[in-house]
Amino acid sequence: MNINATLLAQAVVMIVFVAICWKYIYPPILFMMKEREKRISDGLEAAKKADDSLEEAKLAFDKELNQAKVEAAEILEKANARASQIVADASSKAEKEAEKIITSATKTVENETNKAKEELKKQMSKIIIDTTQKILDDEISEEKHNDILKKAAEEL
Amino acid sequence: MASELTTQSYITHHLTNLTCGKTPSGWTCDPYKVDQMGFWAFHVDSLFWSIGLGALFVFVFRKAISKNFDANLAPNGIQNFVEMSIEFVEDNVQSLFGSVKNTLIAPLALTVFIWILLMNLMDLVPVDFLPVLAGHVAYAIAGDTVEWIQGPESLYFKVVPTTDPNITLGMAFGIFILTIYYSITVKGLKAFIAELTLHPFGKYMIPINFVLEMVNFIAKPISLGLRLFGNLYAGEMIFILIALMLFFSSIPIGVLGFGLHLVWALFHILIVALQAFIFMALTIAYLAMAHETEEH
Repeated sequence: MNINATLLAQAVVMIVFVAICWKYIYPPILFMMKEREKRISDGLEAAKKADDSLEEAKLAFDKELNQAKVEAAEILEKANARASQIVADASSKAEKEAEKIITSATKTVENETNKAKEELKKQMSKIIIDTTQKILDDEISEEKHNDILKKAAEEL
Repeated sequence: MASELTTQSYITHHLTNLTCGKTPSGWTCDPYKVDQMGFWAFHVDSLFWSIGLGALFVFVFRKAISKNFDANLAPNGIQNFVEMSIEFVEDNVQSLFGSVKNTLIAPLALTVFIWILLMNLMDLVPVDFLPVLAGHVAYAIAGDTVEWIQGPESLYFKVVPTTDPNITLGMAFGIFILTIYYSITVKGLKAFIAELTLHPFGKYMIPINFVLEMVNFIAKPISLGLRLFGNLYAGEMIFILIALMLFFSSIPIGVLGFGLHLVWALFHILIVALQAFIFMALTIAYLAMAHETEEH
């Protein structure tokens, strides 16, 4: 084991390599690693944020959905109410119409009946007078004939 | 160099560095003139692997940045490894250093950890592969021109830099300098000197305090360097001894050698990683101590 100038040479070489590492190797690699670490933690944070906003969106969606359901129910109820209203209106109107028709029909029938009665009276009187005239023939003048007809009509 | 291959020469060959230095007759890498070189000699093989593996570290980590510098993309392949290492180092620095802000510590720890890990891993390459390859390459290229290269085996070549105390102590030395630097800049020179002289016996025993604290202070880098060296040297030694089993030219022992090699290599993976980690952890701990201003 002999110590010689190799020792000094090695010390110098070491200083050179350490200096190179210190200046050109260590800082950039460390920087790179820190940078990547930052990227990763940023990425994780962003993912977490996205998760949170997804959750929020889900909640908002649920809320909207519930509201929509309530609104739909309301609309349906209104529609039902309106439909039954329409049906009620229509049926009352129809009833009225029917009543009207019946009333007018009754009147018409009455009128017709009266008319027919009148006609019948007239014909009856005429028949009676004609018959009576034939029986009496000349005894009754024109004037008397009309009087009798008139009286008969009034009596009927 | 020994032309006869003996157990002893084999071991020596594996434990000797390729040393280049200045001799009275000029610069040379001749292993027979190592004695004349004195202090100003360099273990070329250790430094070659040390620098090469350091460069590999820089290259790989740099590539991880330039290729996928997009925070949106998921990291893959080498990028994962790079980020894992950095996270590992960050965790360790955080736990040992706490709140102190110092941008140098983490890169220093990372460099030390990966670099030592790579150097230690060279131990898992079978002991003869690279030395023999290097010997042949050297012989082919310089066999005619360099007089001391007489054959492929005349080149010594140690592959694992951390089995060279110069490398481990060199790194510990660098960390030692940093410790002193931060002790002075963070605590102030006065507090630093006070720390070395006023403990543990108070101000009337300054010389004794100083000797004790100095031992304590110096022991840190030395133990740091020698721990790594010792562990890896021992591991390498065992690999060499296992490789020696093939010398007996007996098939059962050879097979046993292969088995032992496998077992030891598997176990050594643990040591390789553990020693790199310990070196890094102690580096952080020593620098954290340099930043502590409270009295102990």
